[in-house]
Amino acid sequence: MSILIDNSTRVVCQGITGRQGTFHSERALASGTQIVGGVRQGKGGAMHLGVPVFDTVAEAMGETRANASVIFVPPANAAEAIIEAVDAEIGLVVCVTERIPVLDMVRVRSYMAGSKTVLVGPNSPGVAVPGLGTLGIMPQGIFLPGKIGIVSRSSTLTYEAVDQTTRNGLGQSSCVGIGADPVGGISVSRCLELFMEDQQTKGIVLIGEVGGTAEENAAAFLSTLDNSKPVVAYIAGQTAPEGRRMGHAGTIIHYGMGTARTKIDALRDAGVSVVFSPVDIGSTMAKCLGHEVSALRDTGVEL
Amino acid sequence: MYLFEYQAKALMREWGIPVLEGAVATSEQRALDAARELGEGPWAVKAQTHAGGRAKGRVAGKEDLSGIEFNDTVLEVGRTAASMLGARLVTPQTMRKGETINAVYIEPEIKSSVQLFVAILIDGECGHPVCLASVSGGSQVERDVFDDPKSLVRVNLGARDKIDAAPGLEIASQLGLRATVKDGFAQLIQQLHALFMACDLSLIEINPLAIRDNDSLVALDARLAVDDNALFRQPRLAALASRMEVSKAEGLAAKHGFNFIQLDGDIGTFSSGAGLAMATLDVISHLGGRPANFLDVPPVLEVSRVKEAFLLVLSDPKLRCLLVNVFGAGIMRCDTIADGLLLAHLEEPVTVPLVMRLAGTNAPLAVSRLERSGLSIQFVSDLASGAAAAVDRGAAPAPLTTPESITGRLTRWLFGSRAGPGS
Repeated sequence: MSILIDNSTRVVCQGITGRQGTFHSERALASGTQIVGGVRQGKGGAMHLGVPVFDTVAEAMGETRANASVIFVPPANAAEAIIEAVDAEIGLVVCVTERIPVLDMVRVRSYMAGSKTVLVGPNSPGVAVPGLGTLGIMPQGIFLPGKIGIVSRSSTLTYEAVDQTTRNGLGQSSCVGIGADPVGGISVSRCLELFMEDQQTKGIVLIGEVGGTAEENAAAFLSTLDNSKPVVAYIAGQTAPEGRRMGHAGTIIHYGMGTARTKIDALRDAGVSVVFSPVDIGSTMAKCLGHEVSALRDTGVEL
Repeated sequence: MYLFEYQAKALMREWGIPVLEGAVATSEQRALDAARELGEGPWAVKAQTHAGGRAKGRVAGKEDLSGIEFNDTVLEVGRTAASMLGARLVTPQTMRKGETINAVYIEPEIKSSVQLFVAILIDGECGHPVCLASVSGGSQVERDVFDDPKSLVRVNLGARDKIDAAPGLEIASQLGLRATVKDGFAQLIQQLHALFMACDLSLIEINPLAIRDNDSLVALDARLAVDDNALFRQPRLAALASRMEVSKAEGLAAKHGFNFIQLDGDIGTFSSGAGLAMATLDVISHLGGRPANFLDVPPVLEVSRVKEAFLLVLSDPKLRCLLVNVFGAGIMRCDTIADGLLLAHLEEPVTVPLVMRLAGTNAPLAVSRLERSGLSIQFVSDLASGAAAAVDRGAAPAPLTTPESITGRLTRWLFGSRAGPGS
């Protein structure tokens, strides 16, 4: 199977008539994704790319039985678009829009408390299940149906991990880019949990980044499992230049978490094979799947 | 976007947050006048830089001068201002070359027995603004908090646009503030929070916040950062950005929407996506090479902006090699990268060896266009071999520095050996 989307997923695209919405919806349709409609206030009743356009998400859901949404709305209106989809009680929202004001996402996340809608993003490359479809902007032609689940905080490195697991024949079960914004929807830990439950997934690639504590939390989650699938992780930014710092608050808020070092240590302690270089993701995963799970602790490349 | 202290304090004053009367000066004469206008002294003369740690910093070339000086006479204020203005301040939070001081801020010096650290910022995990506070305000606060994590008070302020006095009172009692100060402190937290929400800030840091003997509070320093993503609806704050000091390269990058950071090495990098750009630096450093820059070109359709990005990174005289690492996806297509490079080459012929890893959307098309162009490019299939090739080039002897005509350089590129311009 897969996570987040399956063959019953019917997608409505918010912002389908815009440049990005058009470009990616066209490609998604060509690859077999069930895009059943679009939403653009004021253009209800029109047809675009061969699918009907509606004024609201609720209307689109009523007419097309859509159960997922992908958002390509400009940043100033994107928070409103997410809230509209949440109000319509759609199951899944993938928000591709980047540069949404952080306080807008603070308000959105608070609004979503208790909602059944799952939000991926914002600033997400989307969710892709090889052979089934893609919600978002992930490139076509690099996927191979297979057994690796990929969860990533970095868009472009997601493709890198996909490419490597395609080249070595492992393939992907599902691939989720959760987005790199400080306040967003679904967490790395939750994606790991879904992959652990997914029958098709035999191994998991986790792509993290310096900053925040998502990887430390993921490590804490993995430590609670009795029986983990092999996880290979890469943390981007190990040698990243420290930008201009300003003041102390950003450093002390996490008590010495959030650096590449703390993330790598936490993940190693949780039994994850951490690779130093992104070029080793695919080969390390192949090695992991060829060995006993108990031997995994030693397979990471030493720093 | 960061505000200077004097800009931050002007904004806070509008919101009723207690700050001292002060004046900004960009010349010695103005500093002298300002000191006289502000009373009888003593005065604090503060270098206006975005980086913190000013009191622990040193003004380059004047080793006895830090970024915050206290002077007793008007003449001394003038001398300090004259020494600071135009010089560079190096602090633990700046890069090695420091930050140029274009203005000083002059305030009366005040004494206070209690100095707090108070900050508001977004905690990504809970998705809310949180307030951090400590009774050991001052430049050593980081060390104090790491030594004694319990000394840091942390209170979630929630997602609402307005808060009541409760969070501030909670923080005050956790800090152990005296009863006569608590109400004033709680009101201050409300004011700071209102400012944070209304102005789309990503950081407020008051360090130190002084509690004076008469129980009044005053923010002696102020660091404010505005969420860049929200500048479109904060026109007043966005206007301040135009007055900020940025290097020419960083200004150019900001104009075209790239993320660019100049570094000390000799291997140029060009990537799309922050993660891939960071990974590129990781792999180069891992192999012993030294990156010359961080460059993340966001997905763009316009070839002209890709061209500008190439011109920017190639303009670095230290460059010995350029590693292009692009994974075409979505609207970022490899042929756009190729066309941008060729346009840049027409405008300013490329004189360093190129190593290119192009993958994803339209990669074969891009490679065939570049191969037909006559440019000397080593194409590689993955990041590992690309970085290895680039590190080899980076370590090679420096290319000839004799000035040459554009025609000469072009000719050499078009008909010269594949080994690169240094041979």
